[in-house]
Amino acid sequence: MSDFSIGKQYAFVIQQLTSREIKRKYARSYLGILWSVLNPLLSMAVLSLIFSQLFRRSIENYPIYYLTGYILWQMFTGATTAAISTLVDNKPLLLKVKFPMELFVLTRAYTALVNFLYSAAAYVVMLLVFQITPKWTMLFSPVIILLLFLFSLGLSYLLAAAYVFFGDIRHLYSVFLTLWMYCSAIFYPVEQLEGVIRVIILCNPLYAYIHSLRGVVMEGVLPGGWELAQMFMWGIGMMAAGMFIFRRSKNKIIQKL
Amino acid sequence: MQKNRSKTIPSVMENGPEILVKNVTMQFRRAKDEASSIKEWMVRTIRRQHRYETFTALDNISFSIEKGEVVGILGTNGSGKSTLLKIISGALIPTSGRVWVDRKKVQLLTLGTGFDMELTGRENIYLNGAIIGYPKEFLDEKFDEIVRFAELEGFMEEKVRNYSSGMVSRLGFAIATIADTPEILILDEVLSVGDLFFRKKSEQRIREMIHSGSTVLMVSHSPSVIQNNCTKAIWIEKGRLMAIGDPAEICRAYEKRDRT
Repeated sequence: MSDFSIGKQYAFVIQQLTSREIKRKYARSYLGILWSVLNPLLSMAVLSLIFSQLFRRSIENYPIYYLTGYILWQMFTGATTAAISTLVDNKPLLLKVKFPMELFVLTRAYTALVNFLYSAAAYVVMLLVFQITPKWTMLFSPVIILLLFLFSLGLSYLLAAAYVFFGDIRHLYSVFLTLWMYCSAIFYPVEQLEGVIRVIILCNPLYAYIHSLRGVVMEGVLPGGWELAQMFMWGIGMMAAGMFIFRRSKNKIIQKL
Repeated sequence: MQKNRSKTIPSVMENGPEILVKNVTMQFRRAKDEASSIKEWMVRTIRRQHRYETFTALDNISFSIEKGEVVGILGTNGSGKSTLLKIISGALIPTSGRVWVDRKKVQLLTLGTGFDMELTGRENIYLNGAIIGYPKEFLDEKFDEIVRFAELEGFMEEKVRNYSSGMVSRLGFAIATIADTPEILILDEVLSVGDLFFRKKSEQRIREMIHSGSTVLMVSHSPSVIQNNCTKAIWIEKGRLMAIGDPAEICRAYEKRDRT
């Protein structure tokens, strides 16, 4: 097989595995993939009901403010929490097939991306409903999403490799995610916070992605230099670290499995 | 493809054996009562209480297989047969020693790799086929043939969850064997699938594959299977190579040992 046909075959495998993940996820529900669209909307409705009163003065358009953060956050957690156990879940497959293990991690992250695209459809509808005027800065959003995807994928590699050796990682990570979520300013304005916690949020890579997307969609401003650097560094850095460590521990992973 | 240092064939070997296994040793290092949580692991690291024991799955195995040979690997459970197959197919890298084989020619035949019970028969054919390494166009073309061979006409839109176990293995077998026989075929206990009638059909298909001129490597703990199909047998016990040579002879020795 030439390199091209191998690449094509891998793409086919990823496509098949991804469609399995999605079909599986909604296997016993009537609405199926529609849930990927409904979920963010319902969550937005609930949060808006409670918080839009509270933050009326500091946030102009609370539902969109929240939804922007929420869908990005969902993509990130969807990718990492699914990828963490992928090697263990696919153990029987892994030892028998010829394609590289990376594909299994990539599949879970890619599934989250596909899910995100469905949610993004809901997001676009909401932008119209709330009469957000189209801005040319919106064209920058794919870059933000791509960088966040790289960040998620890199972290997924690290977590998936670590989970093979330590089952606790999963529980530890879920606790950590809760903390992380509260530090990402998804449903509250950052301006009201002071001191250490504010610094933490401003250093939080997730906040950089969320804040940039809010900027380009809601206010029509491109991310500043520092924020741009942060996004690129975290995205590409995490991806490189993830790949590097995953490659190095590959043999150990197989032996352990 | 997995990049593997044993992939390159030295020029001396151009016309040599199809598969050359040389001094292959596989050791697994297992921590004694392993730390399964980070806390435990930290505690032990601090106390320097990591104790390991090495388990030798394969001990200095060497043999060669010529093109066109049908080789059976014989051995009781846990003797290292599957580990050996994994090393030859490239899924594992041996602790020491080398394997020379053109990995592009190798196909490991396994049944129902990656079947998903929640998907329909049709979806599973594509999923399983993709994993085995068939391109999409090939599957489109062969779809009907697979269904016919598995005798599952009319069940394709049904979820595999609702299949009987015989139906599942028939489908697995049909997908796995639909392609032209690869140059090097590795079979891991695939004979004896489905009901009596289908078994005849599957055995015939396997025999066809075996005798199509490819090099075949198969694993079994049943001496009769090996005696009936192979031209050469390898007997492995507890990771050691016990004997290699004529199937009838080896099988006799193996059975004798079994009784004592």
